[in-house]
Amino acid sequence: MEDEKFDCIVVGGGIAGLGAALTLARNNMKFLLIERGEYSGAKNVSGGVLWGTQLSELVPDYWEDTDAGIERYIKHRRLSFLDEQSAFSIDFKSEHFEEKPYKGVIVLRSRFDQWLADKVQEAVMQSDYAEESFVANDILVEEILKENGRVVGIRSGEEKFYANCVILAEGVNNLLTRQIGLQDEYVPADYVATGIKEIIKFDQKTLEDRFQLDGLSGMSNEFIGLGATCGVEGGGFLYTNKDSISLGLVLGMKDLREKGGNPDIRKAVDRRTTSGDTTPDSDKVKPLKIYDILAAFKSHPAVRDMIKGGEVVEYSGHVVSTGDMRIMPREIYDDGVMVAGEAANLLMNSGKAIQGMDYAMASGVLAAKTAVAAKKKNDFGKATLKTYRDTLEDSYVMKDLRGFQNAVHFLHQPAMFSKVPNIACDFGRQFFTIDNKPTTKTKDMLKGAVKRHSSFWELLKIGFKGYKSL
Amino acid sequence: MKKLSIAERLGLVNYRNQGKSDATPHIDVDTDICNSTCPHLCTTYVCPANCYTVDEEGEVHFQFEDCIECGTCMYACDQGAVTWHYPQPETGRGVNWNFG
Repeated sequence: MEDEKFDCIVVGGGIAGLGAALTLARNNMKFLLIERGEYSGAKNVSGGVLWGTQLSELVPDYWEDTDAGIERYIKHRRLSFLDEQSAFSIDFKSEHFEEKPYKGVIVLRSRFDQWLADKVQEAVMQSDYAEESFVANDILVEEILKENGRVVGIRSGEEKFYANCVILAEGVNNLLTRQIGLQDEYVPADYVATGIKEIIKFDQKTLEDRFQLDGLSGMSNEFIGLGATCGVEGGGFLYTNKDSISLGLVLGMKDLREKGGNPDIRKAVDRRTTSGDTTPDSDKVKPLKIYDILAAFKSHPAVRDMIKGGEVVEYSGHVVSTGDMRIMPREIYDDGVMVAGEAANLLMNSGKAIQGMDYAMASGVLAAKTAVAAKKKNDFGKATLKTYRDTLEDSYVMKDLRGFQNAVHFLHQPAMFSKVPNIACDFGRQFFTIDNKPTTKTKDMLKGAVKRHSSFWELLKIGFKGYKSL
Repeated sequence: MKKLSIAERLGLVNYRNQGKSDATPHIDVDTDICNSTCPHLCTTYVCPANCYTVDEEGEVHFQFEDCIECGTCMYACDQGAVTWHYPQPETGRGVNWNFG
């Protein structure tokens, strides 16, 4: 039995697990990667952008690979404030973004994860354990095995597999992390959101013309305001893939629970999505369903024009952490075990980007490096695995997570989802309207817009908080 | 673009074991809790796959077959009615994302 013992078992073949496995293979570790989906990526949903240059560190020169598993790289970024009729955008496009390594790539997980899994397989074949390390799909880990308080392996059905350490990279719905007591069994809705998304397919040339894309260049567009989320906490996104777009919403779950039954929001949605299959029911107020908000977002004039003529080919959804550290497991390592990626709730939205996949990759790699060092010491105890926590704290992942907690709180205040975008759009409408009458001075336009939706005092407080936190 | 119904949206999902009529459920819901003490019935509007529905008498019903494994209900339900497991690859439902 001891012969069959692995140096490490990785649970989950997503980005964190694959990043860990690739690192283990390259360091001649004997490992087993277990993925419950039929293939890597089968169970994974993301908005779509893997931010930063982490990928080029893991797979150098990946852009040379003609089929690199990526859809496009980010060359054009846009942040749009929406009220119900208008969009006021901050737009940035630059040739600087053509420089390699790219600073962000758009991915579809089913394709990207399988490509990365192939890289792991190649690395295994070149390692000393080509015949003894495995990537096993379609197997569900039901239990983490412990002996004398120490994690020693996993159980799937009747089968047990043993290892010196286990890396849990099971994703945000971290049932196994909860099972071993690193996180509470019930995690409340406060710091999680639900993402829902559609893949909308186009003829590639139509897509490239519409979004002014060139070669592999791509665009990311984030949206905030009533026109995106009907006043519910959260925002929208649009990313250009090779011949499709990823369009979706991320909605704060606690806020959705509170506002979902609100008849005013229901009416607002019905007003905007009059055509379709739902017949308005006058005597009964139907609750606002999450996908009704997506339908309303798609009918916003700015969005509607971008997705015109496309065909929806997939509808998906997944829970995502909001970036508030209060949701994190009480610890991300213990005797014989480390937790990486979204299983450790490593995600952040600092207002500049929603980073989760790069955190997953970085943490998976650091967990694997810790396992490699532990093997050299032949000690997989808690004190040794603490290196994982320490190196993650020293990395940009925890530095940013800790450094931008105030930004997370700032971005999740109610005013951001209606008042602030309303002011922007109200001001924009005045500023950009030319109607051959004596023109109001810009400062008075701004004053009017602020007064109609908020107050100077409130805006000053918001501005000060934003200035400090972002 | 034509507005899609939830049935049309779910029709685009590639579910596992579609042929199986007796797939093993991966979520247990104690609907007695929903139908007695729950103050919000939030699962009936936060679930992206409409697995939780209210009938004309106001009773909550649950089916797991359309579940897209997002996990929303296990956080949104604060009444202790939802118990979540990962679906069994061989005998359960769940998804195979084509794009993800």
